[in-house]
Amino acid sequence: MTVDITSRGGARVAQLSGEVDLERSPAVRRALLDALGAKAPLVVDLSGVSYIDSSGIASLVEAYQTARKQGTAFVLCAVSPAALRVMQLARLDKVFDIRATLDDALAAV
Amino acid sequence: MRAMSDDDRRPPEAAGDLMTSDREVFANHMALIAEMTREFSASRDSQTVSRHGLARITTFLGAEASSLFLIDEEGHDLVCAACFGPVDVTGLRIPLRKGIVGRAVVLNKTQMVRDARRDPDFGGQDIAAETGFVTKSVLVAPLSLGDERLGAIEIINKASGDGLFDEHDRTLLEVLAGSAALAIDNFRLTQRLVEQERSRHELTLAAEIQRSLLPGEAAPDYPVHGVNVPARLVSGDFFDVVEEAPGDRIWFALGDVAGKGMNAAILMTKAASLFRCLSKTIASPGRLLAAVNAELCETGSHGMFVTMVAGFYDIWSGRVRIANAGHEPPLFLPAGADEFLAVPALAPPLGIADDIVGWDGYPEHDIDLGDGALYVFTDGLTEAYTEAEGRATLGEDGTRRLIRDVRGLPPPQRLAAMLDRVRRPDRPLRDDVTILVVEHGGPR
Repeated sequence: MTVDITSRGGARVAQLSGEVDLERSPAVRRALLDALGAKAPLVVDLSGVSYIDSSGIASLVEAYQTARKQGTAFVLCAVSPAALRVMQLARLDKVFDIRATLDDALAAV
Repeated sequence: MRAMSDDDRRPPEAAGDLMTSDREVFANHMALIAEMTREFSASRDSQTVSRHGLARITTFLGAEASSLFLIDEEGHDLVCAACFGPVDVTGLRIPLRKGIVGRAVVLNKTQMVRDARRDPDFGGQDIAAETGFVTKSVLVAPLSLGDERLGAIEIINKASGDGLFDEHDRTLLEVLAGSAALAIDNFRLTQRLVEQERSRHELTLAAEIQRSLLPGEAAPDYPVHGVNVPARLVSGDFFDVVEEAPGDRIWFALGDVAGKGMNAAILMTKAASLFRCLSKTIASPGRLLAAVNAELCETGSHGMFVTMVAGFYDIWSGRVRIANAGHEPPLFLPAGADEFLAVPALAPPLGIADDIVGWDGYPEHDIDLGDGALYVFTDGLTEAYTEAEGRATLGEDGTRRLIRDVRGLPPPQRLAAMLDRVRRPDRPLRDDVTILVVEHGGPR
Protein backbone atom coordinates (compact mmCIF):
# COMPACT_ATOMS: atom_id res chain seq x y z
CA MET A 1 0.00 0.00 0.00
CA THR A 2 1.36 3.44 -0.89
CA VAL A 3 0.10 7.01 -0.64
CA ASP A 4 1.60 9.56 -3.05
CA ILE A 5 0.73 13.19 -2.51
CA THR A 6 1.26 15.60 -5.40
CA SER A 7 0.08 19.09 -6.30
CA ARG A 8 -2.10 19.72 -9.32
CA GLY A 9 -2.94 23.35 -9.88
CA GLY A 10 -4.29 24.65 -6.61
CA ALA A 11 -5.31 21.20 -5.39
CA ARG A 12 -3.48 18.35 -3.77
CA VAL A 13 -3.91 14.85 -5.09
CA ALA A 14 -3.50 11.77 -2.90
CA GLN A 15 -2.99 8.63 -4.92
CA LEU A 16 -3.74 5.48 -2.93
CA SER A 17 -2.79 2.06 -4.13
CA GLY A 18 -2.84 -1.53 -2.90
CA GLU A 19 -4.97 -2.87 -0.05
CA VAL A 20 -6.31 -0.39 2.49
CA ASP A 21 -7.16 -2.52 5.51
CA LEU A 22 -7.00 -2.33 9.30
CA GLU A 23 -3.22 -2.60 9.27
CA ARG A 24 -2.60 -0.01 6.57
CA SER A 25 -5.36 2.50 7.12
CA PRO A 26 -3.54 4.40 9.93
CA ALA A 27 -0.85 5.37 7.37
CA VAL A 28 -3.56 6.48 4.91
CA ARG A 29 -5.27 8.50 7.65
CA ARG A 30 -2.00 10.21 8.60
CA ALA A 31 -1.13 11.02 4.97
CA LEU A 32 -4.58 12.45 4.18
CA LEU A 33 -4.70 14.55 7.35
CA ASP A 34 -1.17 15.83 6.65
CA ALA A 35 -2.18 16.70 3.09
CA LEU A 36 -5.21 18.60 4.41
CA GLY A 37 -2.85 20.63 6.60
CA ALA A 38 -2.09 22.68 3.47
CA LYS A 39 -5.75 23.87 3.57
CA ALA A 40 -6.01 23.24 -0.19
CA PRO A 41 -8.71 21.14 -1.92
CA LEU A 42 -7.87 17.45 -1.69
CA VAL A 43 -8.63 14.86 -4.34
CA VAL A 44 -8.20 11.21 -3.35
CA ASP A 45 -7.52 9.02 -6.36
CA LEU A 46 -8.52 5.44 -5.54
CA SER A 47 -7.77 3.95 -8.96
CA GLY A 48 -4.92 1.82 -7.60
CA VAL A 49 -6.85 0.46 -4.61
CA SER A 50 -7.51 -3.26 -4.90
CA TYR A 51 -9.34 -3.62 -1.57
CA ILE A 52 -10.66 -1.25 1.05
CA ASP A 53 -12.29 -2.32 4.31
CA SER A 54 -14.36 -0.36 6.82
CA SER A 55 -11.29 0.94 8.65
CA GLY A 56 -10.02 2.27 5.29
CA ILE A 57 -13.34 3.96 4.70
CA ALA A 58 -13.15 5.37 8.25
CA SER A 59 -9.85 7.05 7.25
CA LEU A 60 -11.62 8.65 4.28
CA VAL A 61 -14.50 9.71 6.55
CA GLU A 62 -12.12 11.34 9.00
CA ALA A 63 -10.41 13.22 6.16
CA TYR A 64 -13.86 14.26 4.85
CA GLN A 65 -14.85 15.51 8.32
CA THR A 66 -11.58 17.44 8.70
CA ALA A 67 -11.91 19.01 5.24
CA ARG A 68 -15.51 19.98 5.96
CA LYS A 69 -14.57 21.55 9.27
CA GLN A 70 -11.88 23.70 7.66
CA GLY A 71 -14.00 24.47 4.62
CA THR A 72 -11.85 22.83 1.93
CA ALA A 73 -13.13 20.62 -0.86
CA PHE A 74 -12.66 16.84 -0.53
CA VAL A 75 -13.36 14.68 -3.57
CA LEU A 76 -12.89 10.97 -4.27
CA CYS A 77 -12.29 9.72 -7.79
CA ALA A 78 -11.69 6.58 -9.82
CA VAL A 79 -13.29 4.36 -7.17
CA SER A 80 -13.18 0.69 -8.21
CA PRO A 81 -16.56 -0.94 -8.94
CA ALA A 82 -16.24 -3.17 -5.84
CA ALA A 83 -15.43 -0.28 -3.51
CA LEU A 84 -18.11 1.88 -5.13
CA ARG A 85 -20.67 -0.83 -4.49
CA VAL A 86 -19.74 -0.97 -0.80
CA MET A 87 -20.03 2.82 -0.58
CA GLN A 88 -23.37 2.83 -2.39
CA LEU A 89 -24.80 0.07 -0.20
CA ALA A 90 -23.87 2.05 2.90
CA ARG A 91 -25.15 5.24 1.22
CA LEU A 92 -21.73 6.81 1.62
CA ASP A 93 -22.24 8.12 -1.91
CA LYS A 94 -24.52 10.63 -0.19
CA VAL A 95 -21.61 11.72 2.00
CA PHE A 96 -18.64 11.76 -0.35
CA ASP A 97 -18.35 13.76 -3.55
CA ILE A 98 -17.37 10.92 -5.90
CA ARG A 99 -16.18 11.62 -9.48
CA ALA A 100 -15.42 9.15 -12.24
CA THR A 101 -11.94 10.37 -13.18
CA LEU A 102 -9.12 12.46 -11.75
CA ASP A 103 -9.79 15.15 -14.36
CA ASP A 104 -13.46 15.29 -13.38
CA ALA A 105 -12.44 15.60 -9.74
CA LEU A 106 -9.93 18.36 -10.44
CA ALA A 107 -12.54 20.22 -12.47
CA ALA A 108 -14.95 19.92 -9.52
CA VAL A 109 -12.60 21.51 -6.98
CA MET B 1 25.83 -12.65 47.48
CA ARG B 2 29.08 -12.90 49.42
CA ALA B 3 30.51 -10.16 51.62
CA MET B 4 33.22 -7.97 50.17
CA SER B 5 36.69 -9.04 51.23
CA ASP B 6 39.80 -6.92 51.43
CA ASP B 7 41.09 -8.80 48.38
CA ASP B 8 38.28 -7.40 46.29
CA ARG B 9 39.17 -3.87 47.15
CA ARG B 10 42.91 -4.28 46.64
CA PRO B 11 43.95 -2.78 43.33
CA PRO B 12 45.58 -5.35 41.04
CA GLU B 13 48.74 -3.22 40.86
CA ALA B 14 49.31 -3.65 44.56
CA ALA B 15 50.07 -7.35 44.15
CA GLY B 16 53.59 -8.75 44.29
CA ASP B 17 55.51 -10.16 41.31
CA LEU B 18 54.07 -9.89 37.81
CA MET B 19 53.09 -13.54 37.31
CA THR B 20 51.32 -13.75 40.63
CA SER B 21 49.73 -10.35 39.98
CA ASP B 22 48.41 -11.38 36.56
CA ARG B 23 47.02 -14.61 37.92
CA GLU B 24 45.44 -12.85 40.85
CA VAL B 25 43.97 -10.17 38.63
CA PHE B 26 42.54 -12.86 36.37
CA ALA B 27 41.09 -14.83 39.27
CA ASN B 28 39.61 -11.70 40.85
CA HIS B 29 38.15 -10.61 37.55
CA MET B 30 36.58 -14.00 36.93
CA ALA B 31 35.13 -14.02 40.43
CA LEU B 32 33.59 -10.59 39.92
CA ILE B 33 32.27 -11.49 36.46
CA ALA B 34 30.71 -14.68 37.79
CA GLU B 35 29.18 -12.84 40.71
CA MET B 36 27.80 -9.97 38.63
CA THR B 37 26.47 -12.27 35.92
CA ARG B 38 24.68 -14.29 38.55
CA GLU B 39 23.26 -11.17 40.09
CA PHE B 40 22.21 -9.64 36.77
CA SER B 41 20.53 -12.80 35.58
CA ALA B 42 18.58 -13.18 38.83
CA SER B 43 17.51 -9.54 38.81
CA ARG B 44 13.85 -8.59 38.97
CA ASP B 45 14.46 -4.98 39.85
CA SER B 46 16.79 -3.12 37.48
CA GLN B 47 17.29 -0.10 39.76
CA THR B 48 18.58 -1.95 42.81
CA VAL B 49 20.76 -4.20 40.76
CA SER B 50 22.20 -1.32 38.76
CA ARG B 51 23.05 0.65 41.87
CA HIS B 52 24.51 -2.32 43.68
CA GLY B 53 26.31 -3.53 40.56
CA LEU B 54 27.85 -0.10 39.95
CA ALA B 55 29.04 0.11 43.56
CA ARG B 56 30.64 -3.31 43.27
CA ILE B 57 32.39 -2.60 39.95
CA THR B 58 33.57 0.86 41.04
CA THR B 59 35.04 -0.46 44.26
CA PHE B 60 36.66 -3.36 42.49
CA LEU B 61 38.31 -1.09 39.92
CA GLY B 62 39.45 1.24 42.70
CA ALA B 63 37.58 4.18 41.13
CA GLU B 64 35.74 7.09 42.64
CA ALA B 65 32.38 7.15 40.88
CA SER B 66 30.32 5.51 38.18
CA SER B 67 27.06 5.86 36.34
CA LEU B 68 24.79 3.84 34.11
CA PHE B 69 23.29 5.72 31.16
CA LEU B 70 20.42 4.31 29.10
CA ILE B 71 19.02 5.61 25.82
CA ASP B 72 15.50 7.01 26.35
CA GLU B 73 12.44 5.62 24.55
CA GLU B 74 12.54 8.28 21.84
CA GLY B 75 16.20 7.46 21.19
CA HIS B 76 17.24 11.13 21.54
CA ASP B 77 18.91 11.30 24.94
CA LEU B 78 20.98 9.30 27.36
CA VAL B 79 19.48 9.29 30.83
CA CYS B 80 21.38 8.36 33.98
CA ALA B 81 19.47 5.37 35.36
CA ALA B 82 21.73 4.79 38.36
CA CYS B 83 24.97 6.07 39.79
CA PHE B 84 27.50 5.51 42.55
CA GLY B 85 29.84 8.06 44.10
CA PRO B 86 29.91 11.41 45.84
CA VAL B 87 27.56 13.20 43.39
CA ASP B 88 24.09 11.88 42.55
CA VAL B 89 23.41 12.45 38.87
CA THR B 90 20.46 10.00 38.59
CA GLY B 91 18.00 11.36 36.04
CA LEU B 92 20.64 13.53 34.33
CA ARG B 93 19.79 13.77 30.65
CA ILE B 94 22.40 14.35 27.95
CA PRO B 95 21.86 14.43 24.19
CA LEU B 96 22.83 11.12 22.59
CA ARG B 97 25.68 12.56 20.57
CA LYS B 98 27.19 14.63 23.38
CA GLY B 99 29.99 13.88 25.79
CA ILE B 100 32.38 10.98 26.15
CA VAL B 101 29.49 8.67 27.08
CA GLY B 102 27.64 9.65 23.89
CA ARG B 103 30.77 8.96 21.86
CA ALA B 104 31.07 5.45 23.34
CA VAL B 105 27.41 4.77 22.50
CA VAL B 106 27.48 6.18 18.97
CA LEU B 107 30.75 4.46 18.05
CA ASN B 108 29.74 1.36 20.04
CA LYS B 109 33.30 1.32 21.32
CA THR B 110 34.89 1.59 24.76
CA GLN B 111 36.42 5.00 25.51
CA MET B 112 39.40 5.25 27.87
CA VAL B 113 40.35 8.87 28.59
CA ARG B 114 43.35 9.88 30.70
CA ASP B 115 42.26 13.43 31.38
CA ALA B 116 38.64 14.13 30.63
CA ARG B 117 39.11 17.89 30.91
CA ARG B 118 41.33 17.84 27.82
CA ASP B 119 38.87 15.77 25.82
CA PRO B 120 36.97 17.88 23.24
CA ASP B 121 33.75 15.98 23.97
CA PHE B 122 33.91 16.33 27.75
CA GLY B 123 30.66 17.79 29.10
CA GLY B 124 31.07 17.52 32.88
CA GLN B 125 32.13 21.16 33.48
CA ASP B 126 28.70 22.08 34.86
CA ILE B 127 28.79 19.26 37.39
CA ALA B 128 32.27 20.33 38.45
CA ALA B 129 31.14 23.95 38.85
CA GLU B 130 28.05 22.95 40.82
CA THR B 131 29.47 20.27 43.05
CA GLY B 132 33.22 20.65 43.00
CA PHE B 133 33.55 17.08 41.75
CA VAL B 134 36.42 17.00 39.29
CA THR B 135 36.50 14.35 36.60
CA LYS B 136 39.95 13.18 35.64
CA SER B 137 40.28 9.70 34.12
CA VAL B 138 37.25 8.10 32.52
CA LEU B 139 36.44 4.61 31.26
CA VAL B 140 33.18 4.15 29.33
CA ALA B 141 31.95 0.83 27.93
CA PRO B 142 28.93 0.80 25.62
CA LEU B 143 25.95 -1.40 26.46
CA SER B 144 24.79 -3.02 23.27
CA LEU B 145 23.38 -6.22 21.82
CA GLY B 146 24.77 -6.56 18.34
CA ASP B 147 23.84 -3.33 16.59
CA GLU B 148 21.21 -2.40 19.13
CA ARG B 149 22.48 0.35 21.45
CA LEU B 150 21.13 0.41 24.99
CA GLY B 151 23.45 2.89 26.74
CA ALA B 152 26.80 2.82 28.53
CA ILE B 153 28.54 2.31 31.86
CA GLU B 154 30.89 5.09 32.85
CA ILE B 155 33.59 4.67 35.53
CA ILE B 156 35.26 7.86 36.77
CA ASN B 157 38.60 8.66 38.42
CA LYS B 158 40.77 5.69 39.06
CA ALA B 159 41.97 6.38 42.57
CA SER B 160 44.64 3.74 42.86
CA GLY B 161 47.99 3.32 41.15
CA ASP B 162 48.86 6.06 38.70
CA GLY B 163 45.24 7.22 38.57
CA LEU B 164 44.72 5.87 35.07
CA PHE B 165 42.59 2.98 33.85
CA ASP B 166 44.48 0.20 32.10
CA GLU B 167 43.76 -2.59 29.60
CA HIS B 168 42.76 -4.98 32.42
CA ASP B 169 40.12 -2.50 33.52
CA ARG B 170 38.92 -2.04 29.96
CA THR B 171 38.53 -5.78 29.33
CA LEU B 172 36.80 -6.33 32.65
CA LEU B 173 34.33 -3.49 32.11
CA GLU B 174 33.59 -4.66 28.56
CA VAL B 175 32.75 -8.16 29.80
CA LEU B 176 30.57 -6.79 32.59
CA ALA B 177 28.88 -4.39 30.17
CA GLY B 178 28.01 -7.33 27.93
CA SER B 179 26.42 -9.18 30.80
CA ALA B 180 24.62 -6.02 32.02
CA ALA B 181 23.26 -5.38 28.50
CA LEU B 182 21.76 -8.85 28.46
CA ALA B 183 20.25 -8.30 31.92
CA ILE B 184 18.73 -4.95 30.86
CA ASP B 185 17.33 -6.52 27.69
CA ASN B 186 15.84 -9.37 29.72
CA PHE B 187 14.37 -6.96 32.18
CA ARG B 188 12.75 -4.89 29.41
CA LEU B 189 11.37 -8.03 27.80
CA THR B 190 9.86 -9.09 31.12
CA GLN B 191 8.37 -5.62 31.60
CA ARG B 192 6.80 -5.81 28.13
CA LEU B 193 5.33 -9.21 28.94
CA VAL B 194 3.92 -7.90 32.22
CA GLU B 195 2.45 -4.94 30.33
CA GLN B 196 0.95 -7.25 27.71
CA GLU B 197 -0.52 -9.43 30.41
CA ARG B 198 -2.04 -6.37 32.09
CA SER B 199 -3.55 -5.19 28.77
CA ARG B 200 -4.91 -8.66 28.11
CA HIS B 201 -6.48 -8.69 31.56
CA GLU B 202 -8.07 -5.26 30.96
CA LEU B 203 -9.31 -6.42 27.58
CA THR B 204 -10.87 -9.48 29.20
CA LEU B 205 -12.65 -7.23 31.70
CA ALA B 206 -13.86 -4.99 28.85
CA ALA B 207 -15.11 -8.05 26.99
CA GLU B 208 -17.00 -9.20 30.09
CA ILE B 209 -18.65 -5.79 30.43
CA GLN B 210 -19.58 -5.88 26.75
CA ARG B 211 -21.10 -9.34 27.06
CA SER B 212 -23.09 -8.17 30.07
CA LEU B 213 -24.64 -5.44 27.88
CA LEU B 214 -26.05 -8.02 25.47
CA PRO B 215 -29.55 -9.32 26.17
CA GLY B 216 -29.72 -12.72 27.78
CA GLU B 217 -31.09 -15.74 25.96
CA ALA B 218 -34.81 -15.36 25.29
CA ALA B 219 -37.50 -18.06 25.55
CA PRO B 220 -37.85 -19.98 22.24
CA ASP B 221 -41.25 -18.40 21.50
CA TYR B 222 -40.08 -14.82 22.15
CA PRO B 223 -40.30 -12.69 18.96
CA VAL B 224 -36.70 -11.40 18.93
CA HIS B 225 -33.54 -13.49 19.17
CA GLY B 226 -29.94 -12.52 18.63
CA VAL B 227 -26.35 -13.78 18.74
CA ASN B 228 -23.02 -11.98 18.78
CA VAL B 229 -19.65 -13.70 18.35
CA PRO B 230 -16.63 -11.39 18.48
CA ALA B 231 -13.71 -12.18 16.17
CA ARG B 232 -11.36 -10.99 18.90
CA LEU B 233 -11.87 -10.52 22.63
CA VAL B 234 -13.97 -7.38 22.29
CA SER B 235 -16.58 -6.71 19.64
CA GLY B 236 -17.31 -3.79 17.35
CA ASP B 237 -20.82 -5.21 16.75
CA PHE B 238 -23.80 -5.08 19.05
CA PHE B 239 -27.44 -5.92 19.27
CA ASP B 240 -30.01 -5.10 21.87
CA VAL B 241 -33.65 -5.82 22.62
CA VAL B 242 -35.74 -3.51 24.79
CA GLU B 243 -39.32 -4.21 25.71
CA GLU B 244 -41.63 -1.28 26.35
CA ALA B 245 -43.05 -1.63 29.85
CA PRO B 246 -45.99 -1.71 29.80
CA GLY B 247 -46.27 -1.69 26.08
CA ASP B 248 -47.03 -3.18 22.77
CA ARG B 249 -43.62 -2.94 21.26
CA ILE B 250 -40.36 -4.77 21.41
CA TRP B 251 -37.52 -2.52 20.26
CA PHE B 252 -34.46 -4.05 18.64
CA ALA B 253 -31.23 -2.72 17.19
CA LEU B 254 -28.12 -4.11 15.57
CA GLY B 255 -25.01 -2.13 14.79
CA ASP B 256 -21.51 -2.45 13.42
CA VAL B 257 -18.70 0.00 14.16
CA ALA B 258 -16.19 0.57 11.34
CA GLY B 259 -12.83 -0.78 12.43
CA LYS B 260 -11.90 -3.29 15.08
CA GLY B 261 -10.31 -3.42 18.49
CA MET B 262 -10.70 -1.36 21.61
CA ASN B 263 -11.69 1.98 20.05
CA ALA B 264 -14.42 0.28 17.99
CA ALA B 265 -15.59 -1.54 21.13
CA ILE B 266 -15.87 1.71 23.07
CA LEU B 267 -17.84 3.41 20.29
CA MET B 268 -20.03 0.32 20.06
CA THR B 269 -20.79 0.56 23.77
CA LYS B 270 -21.72 4.21 23.35
CA ALA B 271 -24.05 3.56 20.41
CA ALA B 272 -25.67 0.64 22.25
CA SER B 273 -26.24 2.74 25.39
CA LEU B 274 -27.73 5.56 23.33
CA PHE B 275 -30.14 3.12 21.67
CA ARG B 276 -31.22 1.64 24.99
CA CYS B 277 -31.80 5.05 26.51
CA LEU B 278 -33.50 6.70 23.51
CA SER B 279 -35.76 3.75 22.71
CA LYS B 280 -37.62 4.57 25.92
CA THR B 281 -38.41 8.13 24.88
CA ILE B 282 -38.52 8.29 21.07
CA ALA B 283 -41.42 6.55 19.32
CA SER B 284 -39.92 6.43 15.82
CA PRO B 285 -36.91 4.32 14.74
CA GLY B 286 -35.95 6.93 12.11
CA ARG B 287 -35.89 9.75 14.63
CA LEU B 288 -34.12 7.54 17.15
CA LEU B 289 -31.29 6.93 14.66
CA ALA B 290 -31.16 10.67 13.92
CA ALA B 291 -30.77 11.36 17.65
CA VAL B 292 -27.99 8.75 17.98
CA ASN B 293 -26.32 10.27 14.91
CA ALA B 294 -26.46 13.78 16.37
CA GLU B 295 -24.96 12.51 19.64
CA LEU B 296 -22.14 10.60 17.92
CA CYS B 297 -21.33 13.55 15.63
CA GLU B 298 -21.18 15.94 18.54
CA THR B 299 -18.37 14.07 20.25
CA GLY B 300 -16.47 12.98 17.13
CA SER B 301 -14.68 9.68 16.81
CA HIS B 302 -11.80 10.04 14.31
CA GLY B 303 -13.80 8.97 11.30
CA MET B 304 -15.19 5.86 13.00
CA PHE B 305 -18.81 5.46 12.10
CA VAL B 306 -21.61 3.07 12.98
CA THR B 307 -23.91 1.30 10.57
CA MET B 308 -27.11 0.52 12.43
CA VAL B 309 -30.58 -0.85 12.01
CA ALA B 310 -33.15 0.03 14.65
CA GLY B 311 -36.81 -0.82 14.82
CA PHE B 312 -39.67 -2.21 16.81
CA TYR B 313 -42.01 -5.13 16.54
CA ASP B 314 -45.62 -4.42 17.41
CA ILE B 315 -46.85 -7.52 19.20
CA TRP B 316 -50.54 -6.86 18.40
CA SER B 317 -50.32 -5.98 14.73
CA GLY B 318 -47.37 -8.26 13.94
CA ARG B 319 -45.77 -5.40 12.04
CA VAL B 320 -42.20 -4.24 12.15
CA ARG B 321 -41.06 -0.66 11.57
CA ILE B 322 -37.34 -0.27 10.92
CA ALA B 323 -34.84 2.33 9.79
CA ASN B 324 -31.47 1.56 8.25
CA ALA B 325 -28.44 3.83 8.63
CA GLY B 326 -25.90 2.62 6.08
CA HIS B 327 -26.18 -1.01 7.21
CA GLU B 328 -26.10 -4.23 5.22
CA PRO B 329 -29.72 -4.67 4.02
CA PRO B 330 -31.81 -6.78 6.43
CA LEU B 331 -33.65 -9.63 4.70
CA PHE B 332 -37.31 -10.52 5.16
CA LEU B 333 -38.37 -14.04 4.20
CA PRO B 334 -42.18 -14.27 4.03
CA ALA B 335 -43.80 -17.52 5.15
CA GLY B 336 -43.83 -20.11 2.39
CA ALA B 337 -41.87 -17.89 -0.02
CA ASP B 338 -38.38 -18.42 -1.39
CA GLU B 339 -37.69 -14.86 -2.37
CA PHE B 340 -36.44 -12.32 0.10
CA LEU B 341 -37.42 -8.73 0.50
CA ALA B 342 -34.33 -6.63 1.23
CA VAL B 343 -34.46 -3.43 3.25
CA PRO B 344 -31.71 -1.26 1.77
CA ALA B 345 -30.15 1.70 3.54
CA LEU B 346 -31.55 4.96 2.29
CA ALA B 347 -29.22 7.13 4.36
CA PRO B 348 -25.56 6.89 5.41
CA PRO B 349 -24.12 5.47 8.65
CA LEU B 350 -24.19 7.29 12.00
CA GLY B 351 -21.43 9.55 13.26
CA ILE B 352 -20.33 11.05 9.93
CA ALA B 353 -22.30 14.28 9.57
CA ASP B 354 -25.15 15.73 11.60
CA ASP B 355 -27.03 17.30 8.67
CA ILE B 356 -27.47 14.09 6.68
CA VAL B 357 -31.16 13.67 7.44
CA GLY B 358 -33.95 16.14 8.14
CA TRP B 359 -36.08 16.61 11.26
CA ASP B 360 -38.12 13.50 10.48
CA GLY B 361 -35.04 11.34 10.74
CA TYR B 362 -33.88 8.30 8.77
CA PRO B 363 -36.39 6.81 6.29
CA GLU B 364 -38.49 4.02 7.76
CA HIS B 365 -39.87 0.78 6.30
CA ASP B 366 -42.94 -1.07 7.51
CA ILE B 367 -43.10 -4.84 7.15
CA ASP B 368 -46.06 -7.06 7.94
CA LEU B 369 -44.24 -10.11 9.28
CA GLY B 370 -47.15 -12.55 9.13
CA ASP B 371 -45.51 -15.92 9.72
CA GLY B 372 -42.33 -14.83 8.00
CA ALA B 373 -39.07 -13.78 9.63
CA LEU B 374 -36.83 -10.74 9.39
CA TYR B 375 -33.06 -11.25 9.54
CA VAL B 376 -30.70 -8.44 10.47
CA PHE B 377 -26.98 -9.23 10.41
CA THR B 378 -23.53 -7.70 10.11
CA ASP B 379 -21.12 -8.12 7.20
CA GLY B 380 -19.13 -10.40 9.50
CA LEU B 381 -21.66 -13.03 8.35
CA THR B 382 -21.68 -12.32 4.61
CA GLU B 383 -17.92 -11.86 4.46
CA ALA B 384 -17.07 -14.85 6.66
CA TYR B 385 -14.83 -17.54 5.16
CA THR B 386 -16.67 -20.79 4.60
CA GLU B 387 -13.67 -23.06 3.96
CA ALA B 388 -10.62 -23.94 6.05
CA GLU B 389 -8.44 -22.20 3.44
CA GLY B 390 -8.80 -19.82 0.57
CA ARG B 391 -10.83 -16.65 0.22
CA ALA B 392 -14.31 -18.08 -0.47
CA THR B 393 -16.86 -16.15 1.60
CA LEU B 394 -20.50 -16.85 2.38
CA GLY B 395 -21.58 -13.88 0.26
CA GLU B 396 -25.06 -12.49 -0.28
CA ASP B 397 -26.40 -15.49 -2.17
CA GLY B 398 -24.85 -17.88 0.34
CA THR B 399 -26.50 -15.97 3.18
CA ARG B 400 -29.90 -16.26 1.49
CA ARG B 401 -29.39 -19.98 0.86
CA LEU B 402 -28.32 -20.49 4.45
CA ILE B 403 -31.43 -18.75 5.81
CA ARG B 404 -33.67 -20.87 3.56
CA ASP B 405 -31.86 -24.02 4.74
CA VAL B 406 -32.43 -23.34 8.43
CA ARG B 407 -35.88 -21.70 8.31
CA GLY B 408 -37.65 -24.75 9.80
CA LEU B 409 -35.67 -24.66 13.07
CA PRO B 410 -36.78 -22.84 16.22
CA PRO B 411 -35.01 -19.44 16.50
CA PRO B 412 -32.22 -20.36 19.00
CA GLN B 413 -31.25 -23.48 16.99
CA ARG B 414 -31.62 -21.55 13.74
CA LEU B 415 -29.11 -18.91 14.84
CA ALA B 416 -26.74 -21.61 16.13
CA ALA B 417 -26.95 -23.41 12.76
CA MET B 418 -26.19 -20.16 10.93
CA LEU B 419 -23.15 -19.57 13.13
CA ASP B 420 -22.00 -23.15 12.58
CA ARG B 421 -21.78 -22.49 8.85
CA VAL B 422 -19.21 -19.71 9.30
CA ARG B 423 -17.44 -20.69 12.51
CA ARG B 424 -14.64 -23.08 11.74
CA PRO B 425 -12.51 -24.69 14.44
CA ASP B 426 -9.49 -24.44 12.13
CA ARG B 427 -9.85 -20.79 11.17
CA PRO B 428 -10.51 -17.71 13.32
CA LEU B 429 -13.43 -15.47 12.38
CA ARG B 430 -12.52 -12.63 10.06
CA ASP B 431 -14.86 -10.18 11.71
CA ASP B 432 -17.46 -10.09 14.49
CA VAL B 433 -20.65 -11.91 13.53
CA THR B 434 -23.99 -10.67 14.83
CA ILE B 435 -27.41 -11.92 13.75
CA LEU B 436 -30.88 -10.91 14.86
CA VAL B 437 -34.13 -12.61 13.89
CA VAL B 438 -37.58 -11.12 14.39
CA GLU B 439 -40.74 -13.17 13.91
CA HIS B 440 -44.16 -13.65 15.43
CA GLY B 441 -43.06 -16.42 17.80
CA GLY B 442 -45.46 -18.57 19.81
CA PRO B 443 -49.20 -19.08 19.35
CA ARG B 444 -51.40 -16.17 18.31
